Amino acid sequence: MTTAASAQVLALGELAPGRQAVVEFSVTALQMRQFAELSGDFNPLHTDDAFARAKGFDGVVVYGALIVAKVSQLIGMQLPGRDSVWASVALEFRKPLHVDQVAQVEGVVTEVSASTGMVVLKLAVRAAGKLLAKGTAEVVLGR
Amino acid sequence: MSTDAIYAQLTDIFHDVFDDESIQVRPELTADDVDEWDSLSHIRLVLAIEKKFGLKFSAAEVGRLKNVGEFVGLIQSKSA
Repeated sequence: MTTAASAQVLALGELAPGRQAVVEFSVTALQMRQFAELSGDFNPLHTDDAFARAKGFDGVVVYGALIVAKVSQLIGMQLPGRDSVWASVALEFRKPLHVDQVAQVEGVVTEVSASTGMVVLKLAVRAAGKLLAKGTAEVVLGR
Repeated sequence: MSTDAIYAQLTDIFHDVFDDESIQVRPELTADDVDEWDSLSHIRLVLAIEKKFGLKFSAAEVGRLKNVGEFVGLIQSKSA
């Protein structure tokens, strides 16, 4: 299990525009069941493979919130890591992610505010080179 | 930009950031006078002011400010 001790520690001065980090991940069937219990969202698009296929998907669709969870890992563990607090996130879903499909969530620093410690990240989620989601996150770096 | 024009712009920003149209933006106003003025809304406020006036402040400049009147003075000095 990853622990807090392994979180990256970056100072504001190390966060110039263009700095980036990537988290590779896939979501398992067990994690889907656990998230259904946690969220109370049992929509068959996320829980019933036959239903999802009948709707034109290649199997159940991974919860968007689980993709957001990997953004949380990116921010909390890598960019900027330990001393950061999320201020906002906006994510636009373009294509579905399926169970056990390998994907990458990438964050790139686009703005750094010296006066406030606010860092803006451009987010992109890709699988097999295709864009699944894109957006932005605002993160405040503690001093 | 005149002092009155700066206060007019700041009033719009304060109303938007704190979602409170009743805030009277005046020189002696401080964070103690606005319930919602916490650390994150302070960041939103500074960023909104930087964007509106096309300025960039340093952490030290912002950290020294004691009230809105001093913020207006900083805006004027950076705009000059």
